[in-house]
Amino acid sequence: MKVLMFGWEFPPHISGGLGTACYGLTKGLALNGVQVTFVMPHAFGDEDENYVRIRNASDVEIDTSSAIYRELFPNATFIQVNSRLIPYVGLDGYYNVINQMGSGILEQEFEGSRRKHTFASGYGPNLMQDVNLYAQVAAEIAKQEDFDLIHAHDWLTYRAGIAAKKVSGKPLVVHIHATEFDRSGEHNLNDIVYGMEREGMSAADAVCAVSDLTRNIVIEKYGIPAEKVFTLHNAVVPSDKKIVRKKNVNEKIVTFLGRVTFQKGPDYFVETALRVLEKDPDVRFVLAGDGDMMQHIIERVAELGISDRFHFTGFLRGADIDKMFGMSDVYVMPSISEPFGISPLEAMRAKVPVVISKQSGVAEVLQHAIKVDFWDIDATADAIYGLLHYPALSKLFADKGEEEVNNLKWENVAKKLKVIYEKTLRYE
Amino acid sequence: MNRICFHFQISQPFRLRTYRFFDINQEHDYFDEYQNHYLAQRLAERCYLPANKMMLELIKRYPDNFKLSFSISGSSIMLFKNYCPEVIDSFKKLLATGCVEITGSTYTHSIASLHGKDAFLEQVRLQEKLLKETFDVKPVSFCNTEVIYSDEIGEWLGEAGYQVVLTEGARHILGWKSPQYLYCNPYQTDVKLLLRSYRLCDDITLRFNDRSWDQYPLTAEKYLRFLDNTKSSSDAPFINLFWDYETIGEHYTEDTGIFDFFRSLVARLAAHPNYSFITPKEVLDMDISPATMHAPWPISCSGEEKDTNEWIGNVLQQEAFNQLFKLEDLYKSSKNEAAKLSWLRLQGADHFNFMSSKWFGHRFVKRNFEVYSSPYQAFINYMNVLNDIKIQLEKKK
Repeated sequence: MKVLMFGWEFPPHISGGLGTACYGLTKGLALNGVQVTFVMPHAFGDEDENYVRIRNASDVEIDTSSAIYRELFPNATFIQVNSRLIPYVGLDGYYNVINQMGSGILEQEFEGSRRKHTFASGYGPNLMQDVNLYAQVAAEIAKQEDFDLIHAHDWLTYRAGIAAKKVSGKPLVVHIHATEFDRSGEHNLNDIVYGMEREGMSAADAVCAVSDLTRNIVIEKYGIPAEKVFTLHNAVVPSDKKIVRKKNVNEKIVTFLGRVTFQKGPDYFVETALRVLEKDPDVRFVLAGDGDMMQHIIERVAELGISDRFHFTGFLRGADIDKMFGMSDVYVMPSISEPFGISPLEAMRAKVPVVISKQSGVAEVLQHAIKVDFWDIDATADAIYGLLHYPALSKLFADKGEEEVNNLKWENVAKKLKVIYEKTLRYE
Repeated sequence: MNRICFHFQISQPFRLRTYRFFDINQEHDYFDEYQNHYLAQRLAERCYLPANKMMLELIKRYPDNFKLSFSISGSSIMLFKNYCPEVIDSFKKLLATGCVEITGSTYTHSIASLHGKDAFLEQVRLQEKLLKETFDVKPVSFCNTEVIYSDEIGEWLGEAGYQVVLTEGARHILGWKSPQYLYCNPYQTDVKLLLRSYRLCDDITLRFNDRSWDQYPLTAEKYLRFLDNTKSSSDAPFINLFWDYETIGEHYTEDTGIFDFFRSLVARLAAHPNYSFITPKEVLDMDISPATMHAPWPISCSGEEKDTNEWIGNVLQQEAFNQLFKLEDLYKSSKNEAAKLSWLRLQGADHFNFMSSKWFGHRFVKRNFEVYSSPYQAFINYMNVLNDIKIQLEKKK
């Protein structure tokens, strides 16, 4: 079985959990005998290609004169602007271009019809444009490649998936790692993103959601028929790196690690810290990460007068994350809405007991974690206090937790996915 | 006869390096040696050395008619000793003329006076010790950090033996009264107050090079006219002009003409029959009875408000301030001299200045050396350092 997979990022150059999940999944698929060609907008060339073939969309030349191209993208404007080279074309300049196009003059000025799009890595300022250009490239790749099925990860790649489906006629599986409801909350939805998500899910032959929580959102909020939505929990990429437990300070350390955004509930972490510190001042709380709620959180900590016990590390990566886990006694994830949430698993692998919110997908697969409602700061404080003061409890969680996580294998997830693929190919 | 009192403040801080959470209880070098070295030398070259040279020449040219005073924070003296000892020598030369007074100040440009008597007088005492060691002087006049002053601070200084205090001629305190008279503390009438005529000072500090100002360009002739105009009557005896010394050569570089301006101004004033220069302590020899001035809340030279919001105005600054002075007892009991010195340095007004949101979007001359991307970054870094100092102070009790 051959799969053409569209992603946005891939290790080692990642900005979130999506890249790691794609890596684990493709590796797992390879072990189950599924060949994957992984397409991404901007490959760096140092990605691990042992289990997967990487195609860099920035290298693909597309022919805008071809019949397929014209049929799929009849309204596409052929202005090949590398947006990052001239980032601020003024509005006047923009309308000039548009007006000329209307008169049919501008098209003549382009030499030939073949062009390449160079994508920036990550999530640039012209994300929407990149998303559409990616779809154009995807159509070209779908023409060249030989495959049985298309798999697209998150809304950024759905248009690419749909384009590939139209070109090839092969079935499309879309994979939901997060929905707009998780990212922005019910009342701040971005209509365009929501629309693209719905477009992708509707066009897909099967939809994979990373948790039952997410599956319900897909069914209820996007109106997708339940029978084509499958839960496919994430797993962990095994790692032989040993995390050294080494502490710099005598006090116990309780850690929050993640983006400091509304969705992750950092403000509940602060309120919980206050509750714990009232009972036991010999604890240090660390908020590791950065995000749009940072200023609010710092001010709140200052207001509560606990900044001698509450620390900020800023955004951490690589070795610093391991160092942080190595120092932690409890890991807290008070997410308000978390489609899955892979970081508690990394904490558990480092033998750190975790307290996670019931509103996270990962709560569905874990036994050895304390689960609380995100808003219940008393229960969270209680759990933290317990883990800090009853060694029997924390040891149990540390040992069993590590074992549990090591049993969450991508190979098993891929096996389930293969079944979904097979079902889809039979159009059941 | 009008007395002109020139006073220059020097208060370079030991700037903090980026000190991360992971450094806590691991590294105890909190200060950015490269930055501190670089800035001390740059200021020495652009301001202190050439300005001192100019002042020395002026004193030699007008030996009977030109005097001035300085306050130099302990941290500045330490920076000079470490990185540019020739600055110390040039101050010694100035002192040797007998026309220069060095006033007392805080040891680390500290805002301890906003916290309490003990912490403040500790700063005062340490600075006296350093001034004795370095310049062999014992000050009787005092210029607090950013001329912060209140009735209470004045009383403390009186107890510590000071007889003249320099502070701001803050309009909200003075009301209809003029800053050009001699005042005293209402509870310790032996403590005389010299009040800064901030409008005249700001004409140089803020407007010297401001092309949109209707008085631009400012010449010594014009400035003399300003001085003449501010005299309400001939018995208004004092015009007190206090500036940051960095105004000459750093805030306004040599090519703006700032040096020539001062040369010319001093020449005109020295030759003028209606003006004579004094230094703060000379007030004590004069037979003038002071009026009382009440300052129930601390005043300073900050902004238009002349209050202390620039340092402890927002919630970040208040928290940092509270956490800092929570360690006062630890400081007293600790034997860890390095950590104790660091704690003193963390009292510096500049650290709190970086956490200020008062000047959001408004670059003020005093914040020429911006190091943090936001007040929040400044707060995080400061608290990381403070938390380590706390551990170090606790350790070697």
